[in-house]
Amino acid sequence: MKGKRTTILLAVVLAFSLVAVLFLTGCDGDPEVTVGSKEFTEQLILSHLTLMALEDAGIPVRDRTNLGGTEVNRRALEEGEIDIYWEYTGTAWLAIFEEDEAITDPDRAYNLVKERDAEIGLVWLDYAPFDNTYTIMMRQEHADELGIETITELGEWIIEQQEKGYEVEFATDHEFMVREDGYPALQELYGFEFDRVHDMAIGLTHVALRDRDVDAAMGFATDGKIAELELVNLEDDRGFFPVYNPAGVVREEILEEYPEIADILGEIASRLDTETMIHLNYLVDVEGYEPDEAAEEWLLEQGLISE
Amino acid sequence: MLNKWFVRVFFSILLLGIFVGYPWYNIANPAGRTEARMLQPEIVWRFGEQHLILWGVALLVAIVIGTIAGILISRPYFRFAAPVVVNIANIGQTVPSLGVLAIFMGILGMGFNTAVFALIIYAILPILRNTYAGMITISPDIIQAARGMGMTPMRILARIELPLALPVIMAGIRNASVMVVGAATLATFIAAGGLGAMIVTGMAVMREQLFYTGAVMAASLAVLLDYILRIIEQEVTL
Repeated sequence: MKGKRTTILLAVVLAFSLVAVLFLTGCDGDPEVTVGSKEFTEQLILSHLTLMALEDAGIPVRDRTNLGGTEVNRRALEEGEIDIYWEYTGTAWLAIFEEDEAITDPDRAYNLVKERDAEIGLVWLDYAPFDNTYTIMMRQEHADELGIETITELGEWIIEQQEKGYEVEFATDHEFMVREDGYPALQELYGFEFDRVHDMAIGLTHVALRDRDVDAAMGFATDGKIAELELVNLEDDRGFFPVYNPAGVVREEILEEYPEIADILGEIASRLDTETMIHLNYLVDVEGYEPDEAAEEWLLEQGLISE
Repeated sequence: MLNKWFVRVFFSILLLGIFVGYPWYNIANPAGRTEARMLQPEIVWRFGEQHLILWGVALLVAIVIGTIAGILISRPYFRFAAPVVVNIANIGQTVPSLGVLAIFMGILGMGFNTAVFALIIYAILPILRNTYAGMITISPDIIQAARGMGMTPMRILARIELPLALPVIMAGIRNASVMVVGAATLATFIAAGGLGAMIVTGMAVMREQLFYTGAVMAASLAVLLDYILRIIEQEVTL
């Protein structure tokens, strides 16, 4: 008798769990604008700027920030799981469309991806002037000591060291090792080659460089940690790196429902230059702000949302 | 007898063929320029070699530490320590491998040493626990009989206990081996190389061919090494 009761109890618990799972995972058809993002600081800030500005304009929003990498966000957008996220022109061209040519003109890159996505009902809103492209970093002190400011000068120093019989080492993430606009093409254009290249997780290149494990490392132009770690971005004096301007990419149906989104995000994008983005990234990565706090502070300061 | 070895050699060569042939084919037929940059013979085989070295060093050290610790905590005078030791090993296992890497990177810096260290920590538990389990489940009657025959404790360990516990110990080692091949794909995050480099790169740039090359190589390596360990197990326990 007791055994039977336990079985019934278990069955009830199981049934409740299953129903609960269905409720929790089931999607309802609210006309909300779901905002996605990739997993790094800048993306979180951009998505929180979007969430707050849309909310301020009375548009219902849903927070799906920190969703995953490029592929995850892109698939989610194509399948309508999310309605908007910020993508970089260069990333769309090279990684999503799997094109092999690296484009260095901002307008051309933007127009190419905009046209391509229009065919499948995705709209690229106005792009921001900041360019989160790759850079080559050195330790500030080391670069000052050697008088190096450009990648060309770095290349000359490397060749000089190699002639003296020293080894020069480089830290990079995995992606940069094989990209069209990555290490192989860079060394070809500038005419130098590191003796040893260490591939590692994306955030570690800074650490490897700071800890003197390597002489130079790959980094990002809008990184907020560069100054804090006493590193410096070298100037790409031969214009090798392609452009990575971000723009909100939104599904057409949502834009038809809320056409004001284009103006709201266009206004935000127009004010995001490289210094501004470095500062916002710095607030989060170094000063310990949450991405939404940094976003709110900036929007208020710019008068783009009301208190 | 001949038949048995024929099967063993046949399957070993088959698995080796997948491990070598699949990347070989992809190296010869890269899907695009991006893939071709990484699918170079010297790069791919270097990843394979790094992976094998990570596996070999980590497993060897883990076998030594795991079996000795497992035997010690099965002895009556150390048995009180068994729950403590097993739980410490449990911690090494419960923390995700990536977390173990991150923790030791702070102490040992990046590169090969840290990766091997983290893999050893990871591999000890199954070996330790199986050794312990194999030792304590031996019937006391058998030990009594051996003692009655005048065998010294050392001889009992070497001639009676270890041979009886060996199948269980070997199962632990094989388990650890497969885990280490899998976990070693994470070594690439801290600049220690290995087949994970192709998997991580393939995912980062969304090129399936890179991803599959790394994944198939790692998987076939795990199965191949497990198969070889199984042959060793069968031979030593017969």
